[in-house]
Amino acid sequence: MKRRAFLTRAGGAALAAPLLLRPAGSAAAAPQPRGREAAYYEKLPDQKVVCRLCPHQCQVADLERGTCGVRENRGGTYYTLVYGQPCAVHVDPVEKKPLFHYYPGSQAYSLATAGCNFTCRFCQNWEISQRRPEQVRWIDMPPADVVRRARAGGCRLVAHTYGEPVIFFEYMRDCAALGREQGVPNVMISNGFIEKAPMRELCRHLGAVKIDLKAFTETFYAEQCGGRLKPVLDTLLTVRAEGTWLEVVVLLIPGLNDGREEIERMCRWLVRELGRDVPLHFSRFVPTFMMKNIPPTPPATLHGARRIAMDAGVRFCYVGNLLSDAEHTFCPACGKVLLRRLMYSVENAGLKDGRCRFCGEEIPGVFS
Amino acid sequence: MSLSRRRFAGILLGSGAALAAAGLPRGSAGGEGEASLVVQAVSPLLRRAGDDIPATAAREFLDRAMLALTGKGGRGQAWGSLFSPSETVGVKLSCLPGPRLSSSRALTAAIVEGLLAAGLPRRNIIVWERSSRELENAGYRISRSGLRTMGTDELPGGGYDGPVTESGSVGTIFSRIMDEVDALVSVPVLKDHDLAGVSISLKNMYGAIFNPNKFHANRCDPFVADLCRHPQVRGKLRLSVCDASRVQAHNGPAYFPRYAAEYGGLLVSRDPVALDFCGWAIVDGLRRGMGLPSLAASGREPSYIRTAGGMGLGQADGRRIRRLEL
Ligand code: SF4
Repeated sequence: MKRRAFLTRAGGAALAAPLLLRPAGSAAAAPQPRGREAAYYEKLPDQKVVCRLCPHQCQVADLERGTCGVRENRGGTYYTLVYGQPCAVHVDPVEKKPLFHYYPGSQAYSLATAGCNFTCRFCQNWEISQRRPEQVRWIDMPPADVVRRARAGGCRLVAHTYGEPVIFFEYMRDCAALGREQGVPNVMISNGFIEKAPMRELCRHLGAVKIDLKAFTETFYAEQCGGRLKPVLDTLLTVRAEGTWLEVVVLLIPGLNDGREEIERMCRWLVRELGRDVPLHFSRFVPTFMMKNIPPTPPATLHGARRIAMDAGVRFCYVGNLLSDAEHTFCPACGKVLLRRLMYSVENAGLKDGRCRFCGEEIPGVFS
Repeated sequence: MSLSRRRFAGILLGSGAALAAAGLPRGSAGGEGEASLVVQAVSPLLRRAGDDIPATAAREFLDRAMLALTGKGGRGQAWGSLFSPSETVGVKLSCLPGPRLSSSRALTAAIVEGLLAAGLPRRNIIVWERSSRELENAGYRISRSGLRTMGTDELPGGGYDGPVTESGSVGTIFSRIMDEVDALVSVPVLKDHDLAGVSISLKNMYGAIFNPNKFHANRCDPFVADLCRHPQVRGKLRLSVCDASRVQAHNGPAYFPRYAAEYGGLLVSRDPVALDFCGWAIVDGLRRGMGLPSLAASGREPSYIRTAGGMGLGQADGRRIRRLEL
């Protein structure tokens, strides 16, 4: 990347919301989702199955679906109903994911299917994540098409994002494997609520993983998300151990997960277990979905959290959904700006071959 | 037409006069302290011949049950005491398991006849499920005008383009059909449910929301009750007609012949909680007969029924439920 070259290839379109294909219309017009046998499940007596993909471990009787709403038991065989059937497709800057140390300034061919294994009351993409496959318009896009379209569109990578890619595991895995072969790395933007074995399998193919750490208490996960914290922490450890590039995002919600003590504990854990080099993003909450009665996160809260993280030893901490200098990448050794960001544009102000141009400090990430 | 509210001492009703007094005012399903009436019929005539109840038996037993429930002297009066001609009524079926275990077509036809007898125009009746595909699989013919028989998915925007709404632990979007109807008849099939314990009238309302898969933890408790106390349900669910012609006593909600009983039953009540309570007892009785442990002993007690009772949605106390056997 050339110094002082703003990379704004996506232009205005990149800033738009993801393209949600029209909602399903009439039964006559809306094709029913197909089924493809799922990975990571076990057959039980009496045509039941137990899904081993995520820690919900749903036990599912014949004709029923798991919590995510996209996996269905048909006569004792478990099917994913969303393979190759994205309902949202868009080209975004990778910064929007956000991934700040992974091909900065590049475009990500971004897609999602319906469904999620969480029920976050503050979900920004609930129109995708909380719906069932038959409630959205989807298009046929097998993995080969995804990679081909990404290349044709000048995208450096493919991002599985918006909803929850864990629940379209098979599709993401096959896209990532193909993309890896063809030089189009795939990234996963996820809540991290996945079992270890499938996560390890994914790590063999993915270029990077971004995990939303929703909070640092089990109570928050149970009451606000319908999930659990511990498995998410386990996923962070797994991804780190596998050596896949990892970044962490925390959406700070006033009064719910923004207490000083909680942020301190979280940051200490991150530094102790993942090291100092995993970028941490504190993101600004805006009211939405079932959480419309809480105001947006004050900037002071976000900057205060960043200060706590840096005091705890995090070397790269950012503030997101808010214009400020805390979007830039600073050299942790000399303090100079290396990557200057404005919204989703990036200017290379001092990064060369993965090092600080001013003092030579190595900057962790995947830059070229 | 409205009926006067009366209190009862828990007697088993048998006479016409006593039956007449059993009616509750429109919109009431038996609050705390009040007894609720559940009319039950069990007859070989109500067993399925092939995949459906014989039409004459369905009509005859439903008529008798409605007269007993309302204390009225004729079909039109009985149905007219619950539904007025100016209202739009949704008949919510349960068709997930396919033809062998879905809401009986003959029983549904008898319900429609009752509504027509009450003076409702055909266009004011919607027989519905989540999807038209489920209805078709269960043997229903889709009709999009006049007397409609259709899935929510027939509607523009997929039928779930309304506002997000909350009721206790449940956050959801209702089917647009729920907006259109003034009153509901829930027509469940009596069946075991692998996660909920049983799926009867209350749980049938999971078919009215866009995200039912989110509410199966903890045996659906308190989710079913929370959903049913939402004004969209509580204010509209006026009658439950449970098809117990064939009962899945274990391994539901799909149809498994090995655990299905040709029970030949029909349950009718204005109180969905009381009806579910009685249905639960029938399922447990059939399980006993099959040598299976009770739902409670299996760790699948449908506690959401008691939770619904505790919320005042109806009676979940056996001493305050009057079972009238036809
Ligand atoms: S992936 Fe879906 S079906 Fe599988 S355990 Fe998770 S929520 Fe349940």
